[in-house]
Amino acid sequence: MIRWTLALMLLCLAAASLGISAGPAGWTTPWHAVERLVEGDVIIASLRAPRVGLAALVGASLALAGAVMQTLLRNDLAEPYVLGLSGGASVGAVLSLLLLPAVPPGFLAAIGAGATALLVRGLAGAPYDRTRLLLAGVTLSSLLTSLTGLLLILAPEDRLLRSASFWLFGGMGTPRFSLLVLPAALLVLSFAWLVPRAERLDRLTMGDDVATSLGVDVPATQRYILLWAVALTASAVAVGGLVGFVGLIAPHAARRLVGAPHRAMLPATVLLGAALVMAADTVARTAFAPRELPVGLVTAGLGGPFFLTLLRRANT
Amino acid sequence: MSAVAAEEMHAEQVVRASGLAVGWNGRAVLRDIDLAVESGERVALLGSNGSGKTTLLRVLAGLAAPLEGELRWRGTALPKGGARCRVVGYVLQAEAPVPFTVRQLVALGLGTDGPPSAPQLAKVARVLADEGLTELAQRPCSTLSGGEWQRAVIARALVAAPALLLLDEPTSHLDPARRAALHERLLRLRDQAVVLATHDLELAALCDRVMIVGDGRAMAAGRPADVLTAEVLESALGVRVRRLDDPEGGPSLFRVVGLAARFAARGGT
Repeated sequence: MIRWTLALMLLCLAAASLGISAGPAGWTTPWHAVERLVEGDVIIASLRAPRVGLAALVGASLALAGAVMQTLLRNDLAEPYVLGLSGGASVGAVLSLLLLPAVPPGFLAAIGAGATALLVRGLAGAPYDRTRLLLAGVTLSSLLTSLTGLLLILAPEDRLLRSASFWLFGGMGTPRFSLLVLPAALLVLSFAWLVPRAERLDRLTMGDDVATSLGVDVPATQRYILLWAVALTASAVAVGGLVGFVGLIAPHAARRLVGAPHRAMLPATVLLGAALVMAADTVARTAFAPRELPVGLVTAGLGGPFFLTLLRRANT
Repeated sequence: MSAVAAEEMHAEQVVRASGLAVGWNGRAVLRDIDLAVESGERVALLGSNGSGKTTLLRVLAGLAAPLEGELRWRGTALPKGGARCRVVGYVLQAEAPVPFTVRQLVALGLGTDGPPSAPQLAKVARVLADEGLTELAQRPCSTLSGGEWQRAVIARALVAAPALLLLDEPTSHLDPARRAALHERLLRLRDQAVVLATHDLELAALCDRVMIVGDGRAMAAGRPADVLTAEVLESALGVRVRRLDDPEGGPSLFRVVGLAARFAARGGT
């Protein structure tokens, strides 16, 4: 029931986002916005709809990656970037802005994230020793963040600092629909792999020995989880920059709403993640129009109070 | 005995270990362990801390490979996937807290993917009732007492009706009433072979056989009446024990009256 409510809420939010304009036109009602979308209105169909879709995809991908990363590492503070992926993505993006200014930074950012994940996995050594994996991730992340800072300080142009800052906090831009195909396919595939195996993920949360004794092939399951989490994160970073916070709080909020079993929690996480980034992006593009805020600043601003309210409700 | 007859005999054995060596990082903690357990039989493993009881249980559960020797479950290798739950159920000494309700926890013991079917839910309800957990089915596991948690994880191990149940220190955190209840519950388990590691001499006395491990080997094995004697316990466990047998045939009681001379001389270390 809660999942259907969340899905309905997401659709309403999408319709509302379509209707809200950053320009002098102000806003139209959600049903008029949907009407104009169906009629093929250029502004709504070619500019706003891909942007709303992109926000939903980035939020859903990061939320799903965060949820399975928390399961893999059995750590409530785990999130999509915990294995140093943000550091790798930042270096990739800044190098791209520096060396290939005509190309969007997403491609090199995704490569940076993926390469960092491989490096961390190699440095961690023993198969899925969680502590070593986390320590290697945190260490590499620090190193790569320093490297990003160094590149920005030594950069010949101030323009780089500005565009990099925008990207580092999550810059959505104005995408074409074709840009969304790959991240959408990856999200669908990972969801279709993970949800049917939800009970295996539940068993993993009880520890390796218990999971193995309950029939889970722990190393293989962990390998697939890591692969999906890295792929989802890299694809989200490639199209949306570094959007923080959503991968951490969406899974926690979903657990509070529908419980911890992954079969209910994963769909709720995806819906909440999509809703959070969609709402944040709407605020980001309209609050200080014509200037646009990086969406990552707003996810924390909107998500923080929402999560604190959930925590407070749970305590009372 | 013909090969076929020998094979049939082995097939009746739920687990059979021959010449087993178990340990860590290639270093054996226990060697030359021979153990065959049949359905309905209860075997207690006794031994000092660090003697290798848990390591042996983990090998019997298929969680670690033996360093040497042969190990068979129902005459064959342990199956992969959820089918494994129908061969071995394992209850660890301690587990991290889990965010599930008691019913969800027990259902995860089925070892299957997907929401439980109606017959599976009936199995869960039956095992919850057997363990006296029906009233607690919707309670989050994080709110359970030590005794309730112990029953919940035993229910999780039993829900798939495994042929072999392995219990690691099942009474270590229980108050006397819960301990007595667990003793009674184990006496009622007749469909499984049970192997348990314990320091609880009364629990060991309730089993059909006892194996005492220490000094890297099986120091004594046999019926409780033969193994749980003051002499054997003093030499194997390093404690002087007074055994109080019930003249009416009830369970024996054990009272530790002191350390063996070899331990007392160095302050019990």
